[in-house]
Amino acid sequence: MPDAIRAEGLTKVFNGTTKAVDGISFSVGEGEIFGFLGPNGAGKTTTLSMLTAVLGPTAGRATVDGLDVFRNPHELKQRIGLVFQESTADQDLTGRENLELAAALFGVPLREAPKRVDYLLDRLALSDSADRLVKTFSGGMRRRLELAVGIIHSPRVLFLDEPTLGLDPQGRAGFWKIISELRSEHGLTVFVTTHYLEEADGMCDRISIIDHGRIVATGTPSELKDRIGGDVVTVRPVGNAPGLEAALKAVPSVTSVAFQDGAFRVKCPSGEVVIPKAVGAASALGIPLAGVSLRRPSLDEVFLEFTGREYREDEGPTATDRAVFLSRFQDARRGRR
Amino acid sequence: MNVRRWAALTRRELLKIARNPAAIGTSLTLPVLYLILFGQGFNFTSSLNYLPPPERVAALNALVLGAPDYFSYFAAGMVGFVSVTATLFVGANVIFDKLFGTLKRTAASPATATDIFGSRLVAGSIQPVLLALLVLGLAILLGHVGLSGLHVTATVGLVGVGEILLSIVLLSLMFASLFLSLGFVIDQPQTYFALVNAINLPVLLTSAALYPWGAMPAWLQGIASYNPITLTVEVLRINFFGDAFYPHPAWVYLLGLIGWFAATFTIATLLTRRALAPKV
Repeated sequence: MPDAIRAEGLTKVFNGTTKAVDGISFSVGEGEIFGFLGPNGAGKTTTLSMLTAVLGPTAGRATVDGLDVFRNPHELKQRIGLVFQESTADQDLTGRENLELAAALFGVPLREAPKRVDYLLDRLALSDSADRLVKTFSGGMRRRLELAVGIIHSPRVLFLDEPTLGLDPQGRAGFWKIISELRSEHGLTVFVTTHYLEEADGMCDRISIIDHGRIVATGTPSELKDRIGGDVVTVRPVGNAPGLEAALKAVPSVTSVAFQDGAFRVKCPSGEVVIPKAVGAASALGIPLAGVSLRRPSLDEVFLEFTGREYREDEGPTATDRAVFLSRFQDARRGRR
Repeated sequence: MNVRRWAALTRRELLKIARNPAAIGTSLTLPVLYLILFGQGFNFTSSLNYLPPPERVAALNALVLGAPDYFSYFAAGMVGFVSVTATLFVGANVIFDKLFGTLKRTAASPATATDIFGSRLVAGSIQPVLLALLVLGLAILLGHVGLSGLHVTATVGLVGVGEILLSIVLLSLMFASLFLSLGFVIDQPQTYFALVNAINLPVLLTSAALYPWGAMPAWLQGIASYNPITLTVEVLRINFFGDAFYPHPAWVYLLGLIGWFAATFTIATLLTRRALAPKV
């Protein structure tokens, strides 16, 4: 499969000191849905901004659809679609007017533009509200309009930056259904940043996990989960637990034991078999336990495995927080409550 | 430059202006109040009526350079005033478009900095030009409803109309360029409005828009001679009241305005390109 996206040693340093992206390399095949998974501040959006020529890199190179991103930014913008994490549609225009504007900006042929606008409004279930001002749209409608704007010119590669942020589960499912259909119908390559684990797990062909600006793991969701090596039993002692690690390692079928965040992570093929034995080992040593839990292989576990810390989807202020703030600020500016 | 992109972006700006009648009303309120209150109350040249006609005319010529009264002189100055106040918001709109992501969306499209800046410049200049013409119309109308009004004493031919329109358009384009460039460079509305206020009033108060020329001290006349608002209002006054009291013909003032516009336009396009270029 030829590469639709290739990044080599991509680095971004802000203000000469803050390294947001630290020499990452990866490739995305044509027609692939590739997920960039990580908590807020991991470097996902900075990477996407560099790949879409919004940001220049401090070092490294990248090609998208065969074009050198940093040498041909103008040509690149005509070939790619970009959906930002916040709503960028003009709120004082109608949905249709926003799409007409995008069609003109992206050079959709004049004769085709009205048909393309109508098609996308229909396809994204916005026909009934097409002539309403965007400021009256719901969050889900705005997301769908953002997607329509992003694909108005039938791009070959689509970049989605946290596209379902702020949507309810039903809205998220609907959004991804459309993306899957577009991929099937047009062979669209999709690069998506997300901090929703289940979204990355369920929708992406391959995933890179990024943390502190570095890619810590890449593979299909199954491959990544397989690297965990089975179930994970978390044994959390109360206070110090001298000798417990060795005792847990001695339990039959346990493949590894690691102490992280005040608990022992015990990997094993079958957690149900190991739990009673682990509890027994702690009891034999007279070590009280605060809790024992079993986790099936998941991307949470993968993240913990490769970064050494728990995955939290709510780290830091989210784009939704910012969008809500801006929306309220705009209302206040217009004298509305 | 791409004409279709330019047209689409200009249409967007005009739709936004048309959907915000409150902003249009606000832009009109200040000049209307000036015409109805300040212009009427300050029409001091009526106090010269006690003088014999030759002396009265001489005093008027010295003070308001051939205008029949202060209000007529001042009404032309209000056109310059409107061109400044009505363009203030073009830069603010850029800042709000940055805050709400709209500018990011446009910058991520194949539209160039020239398309983005040019469309805003055109759209941002249409409103002040229309307002300036409304102010002129209102100033003439006031003279027909028993108030002091604008009395045009010279014959304004087609060339004169062209000169008047060109001077208004150039002044609007100049200030729109200036405020747009500030909008692209500045990120905070508070900073923008503070800076705009710091520019707005000194520019107005160092022009001959409001002061009777003959009452201005020589040093202020010297500064005002180069002020773009003065250049515009003098083109209007020459066409309305004759050129007998002006050192240059109208085209010289128009050349000065072209120079001002060229300077602000060049600086503004450079700043806009820098602001819209990928951040390195």
